[in-house]
Amino acid sequence: MSAKANSNKRPFSRRKFLRRTAVVLGGSIVAGFLGCSPTRRYLAQTVERMDFPAIISSMKPDFWFQVLSDNSILFKSPKIEMGQNVITGLAMLAAEELEIPLERIKVEHASTSSGIIDSLGTGGSNSTLALYIPVREVAATMREMLKTAAADQWGVALSSVSAKDGVLSSGGKTMTYAEIAESTTEWKTPKTPKLKPSSAFKYVGKTVKRIDLQEKVMGTALYTIDHGRNGLLHAITLECPYLNGKIKSIDTTEAAKMPDVVKVIQEDDLVAVVAINRYAAEMAVRKIKVEWDIPKAWQQKEIIELVTVGKGRRVNVQDKGSARSILSNSKAKVFEQAYRTPMAAHAQMETYGTLAHIENDEASIVIGTQAAGMVQGQLASALGIKKDKVDVQTPYLGGGFGRKMGRNNATQAARISKIVGAPVKLIPTREQEFQNSVYRPNTHHVLKAVFDEQGELEAISHDQATPDMVMKDLGGNFALSMFGADWLSAGHGASILYPVKNRSTSIWNVEVPYPSGIWRSVGIFANTFAIESFVNELAHHTKQDPLEMRLKLLQGGDELNQRMIKVLETLKDKTDWGTKSKAGVGRSVAICNDRKTIAAAAIEVSIVDGAIKVLKVTEVIDCGIAINPGGIQQQVEGAIMMGISAALYEEITIADGKIAASNYHEYPLATLNDVPEIQVTILENAPEPFGIGEPPLGPVAPAIAGALLDLTGKALRSLPFRLDEG
Amino acid sequence: MKIDFSINKKPVSIDVDPEMPLLWVVRDELHLKATKFGCGKAMCGACTLHVDGEVYRSCSLPVQYAAGKEVTTLEGLSTETQIHPIQQAWIEEEVPQCGYCQPGFMMAAAKLIQEIPNPSDEDIKSNISNICRCGTHPRIIKAIKRAAVIQQASKI
Repeated sequence: MSAKANSNKRPFSRRKFLRRTAVVLGGSIVAGFLGCSPTRRYLAQTVERMDFPAIISSMKPDFWFQVLSDNSILFKSPKIEMGQNVITGLAMLAAEELEIPLERIKVEHASTSSGIIDSLGTGGSNSTLALYIPVREVAATMREMLKTAAADQWGVALSSVSAKDGVLSSGGKTMTYAEIAESTTEWKTPKTPKLKPSSAFKYVGKTVKRIDLQEKVMGTALYTIDHGRNGLLHAITLECPYLNGKIKSIDTTEAAKMPDVVKVIQEDDLVAVVAINRYAAEMAVRKIKVEWDIPKAWQQKEIIELVTVGKGRRVNVQDKGSARSILSNSKAKVFEQAYRTPMAAHAQMETYGTLAHIENDEASIVIGTQAAGMVQGQLASALGIKKDKVDVQTPYLGGGFGRKMGRNNATQAARISKIVGAPVKLIPTREQEFQNSVYRPNTHHVLKAVFDEQGELEAISHDQATPDMVMKDLGGNFALSMFGADWLSAGHGASILYPVKNRSTSIWNVEVPYPSGIWRSVGIFANTFAIESFVNELAHHTKQDPLEMRLKLLQGGDELNQRMIKVLETLKDKTDWGTKSKAGVGRSVAICNDRKTIAAAAIEVSIVDGAIKVLKVTEVIDCGIAINPGGIQQQVEGAIMMGISAALYEEITIADGKIAASNYHEYPLATLNDVPEIQVTILENAPEPFGIGEPPLGPVAPAIAGALLDLTGKALRSLPFRLDEG
Repeated sequence: MKIDFSINKKPVSIDVDPEMPLLWVVRDELHLKATKFGCGKAMCGACTLHVDGEVYRSCSLPVQYAAGKEVTTLEGLSTETQIHPIQQAWIEEEVPQCGYCQPGFMMAAAKLIQEIPNPSDEDIKSNISNICRCGTHPRIIKAIKRAAVIQQASKI
C-alpha cells in the first residue's frame, strides 16, 4: 500500500539536507537537525491538497527531532494540538522509523524560535496526510545518522549495526541513542533510507492513547491563560459591540480611578485598562463611558438578503455536460429547492487570548493559535520589527475549529505591553469572544434537477451564495479579484459528486458587513447540508429509498464514487437498513467527500415533547490509512456532537448592528442531554491517511433533515431546524 | 481584607478585594491553573470547583464566600497515593480532546458519584450542565459510570 503512495514522491535530497551538529543547550539537547527537502515537498502537498493559491506559499517550514540525555526523543511538532489528537499520530509515525518505543517520544509544539512551525497553520484536516511521508523520512534519516556514528565509533561496518528500542548494537557492543549522540561531534547525513513497509508497522493501525491524556486529566496541561511572567499585568480592551463601529466620544476618568488599575490606554483605536489583576481590569473597563458611532445598524433580514443566489460575482466551478441548458429548457419538469445555513460562532471553550512581552524591540508572545506563522508576520509588521525578533510560543489550544486561524488580539496585547513596559496578558471576555469574533458565514443554496423519461436523473445544478472565508485574510482583495470567489474554502464541497451526466455548480461571492471565516469542516458543512438534503428530497419526491437511490446514482462513477459505494454498503449492513424503522422514528442518510475522506451517516430521529431528538447516529468513515483508530473514533464522536449542535441549536443573528448573542445563554450548544447512541465504523480503502477532524461533521445535519422528512413528510431547509418552519 | 480558607487541604491567607471571584484567586493568587475561565457568568462550568464539598462555578463566586471553608480544585482531587475514581475513569475512557472544559466536568462528576453512587444516564444528563465544544459528551457519560464502578470496588 505505502509503496504506491511513495512512488510518486521524490526522495530526500542529500544536498539539501541541512544539519546542526552537536547542539548543546542546557546539557539536555545533544543532537538536532533540520530536514529541508521533505518539508518543501510537504508544503507543496499542503498547497496542492488545500488548493491554496501559490502566492501565499513562500515560506519554509521544517521540523526536527532531538535526542535527549534520558534516551528519549523530543519531537517538535510543526502542527499544533487543539484536541484533534494530531501529535499522537505524528509521534506514532516517528516511532516507526526511529526504532524507539512510543512512550519514549515526547512531543511539544515547535515555536518560531525553536523548531520550525508550519507557516500555513494547522487546519483543513490535512496535518497527518501532509506529514505522513516526511515525518517518517526525517525519522529514518536520523536513525541512520545514529547508526553511522556508532559504526564509525566502533570501527565496524554500518550494515552490522542495528537499532532497536533506542539502543544500537553490533556484535556484542551496545550503546543508547543518548550515548552515541553525546559522544559524536561530526555527523554524516545519509541518503534518504527506504521506509518501512506498512506490514512492519508496530504502532500504525493500532489504537494508542493520546499523548496529552495524563496532563489533560490531571490538570497540568497548559493553555495561554495558564502562562505567566514576572511582573505580569492583566489587560482588558474596550471592544465595540457594533459591526464596524467607532468611538464617537469616550470618558475614562472613572476607570482610571478604580483600585489596582495601573493605566488606562487610549491610543487611536486601542482602548484598554491595565491592572495588577484580572478582576480589577474587568471592573474598571466597565466604568468607561463611551458613545459609539455606528455606520449602519444592520438587521438580520438584511444580512440574509445580501447572501442570496443571483447576487454578487459568479464563478462556475463545475460544468459537465450541458446541465444549465437542459434545466432551462425543461422548466416545467424541474425539481427545485433552496436551502440556507446561518452564521455560526466557534464558541470554543478557551477564548482567543494572548500573553505578550515587548522589550528592547523584541517580542515574546504566547498564543494558542492555529497559525503561529501568521501571528509572527502580523506582529512584525505591526511593531515594525523583523520577523526573527518575534518569538511566538504556542501552548495547547482550548479548542480551535478554525477560530484560531482568524482575527486575534496579539497586536493589541503587544501594543499594550510596549506602552506599559511590562508583560501583559490579554484574555478576551466571553462577550468579546462572541461579539468581536469571526463567524461561519451564512449561505444560500439553490439546487435544481430534472429526470429523463426513463426516470433517470438527467441534470443537476447547484448555486451557492457565500461570503469569503479565507481569501481576504490570505491574499487580500487581490486574491478575491483574481479567483472571483472563495471556491477554495467557502465553496469547498459545492460540486456535485454523483456521476450525473449533466451537472453544474456555481459559487456566488457576496460581501457581508461581518468578518467571516473558517468553521470546522469549512465549506463542507453548508454544501453537504444543501446537496444531501436535496438528494434526500429527490428520493422522497420520486418515492425511492434515500440510501438505495444514492447507490444507484453512484454506479459507473470514478474511484471516489466506488469508495462512496463501499461506505454506503457498509452503512446498510451496520444499520440493518432493510428492516423498517420503528413507529414514530424517522431515518435517513447523507454522505460527503472531504478531500478524499468519505463520511456517511445514517441517523434516526423522533419528536419528543415537541422537540427534535436524535436517537441514533451510525457513521462510516473511509479515511484511507487509519493511523490511530481510537483517535479517529474520538474525532468522529466529536464531529457528530458538533453536527447535532449545529443542526438543532446554533445560529448567530445580527440585531441593531450587533451580534445578538453575548454569551452561551444566547448561543446554546448541544449538551449531555443530546447524546444519541453512536456507532462508528472505519474503512481503509485508500493508500494514504486522509483527514479526520472535519469530514465526519458533513453528513450529520442533512441526515437529520432527511430523517425528519421521513418522519413528518415535511422538509426543513434551513438551519437550525425548527419544527414550525418549512 | 485578609481572607483565610483552605485550598486542597492547605490553609491559606490572602489579601484581595473580597468581591474578587474565587476563580481568579485560585488561578492567579494561588497559582493553581487547572480551574479554567470559560464564560465568566457561571454558564459553561469550566471553572467548577468544590467549596465545603459543594459544587460551585467559581467565576461568579466572590472569594469572601470561601472564608473559613475548604476549597478543592482538580489538583486536590487525587491524593499522592490514590488517583480519584473520576480521573482514573477519565483516563481509561480517554475522554479529553482539547481538554479545556475537562477539569470542570471532572469536578462536577466527582460530586455526582458521591451523591448518586450508581448514576444512570438520566442522572448524569440531568445533573451536569457543563459545556464541552469538542463533543466529548458520549465519553463523559461512559466515564462517570465507570468511575462509579471503580468507586464501589474501592469501598469493598
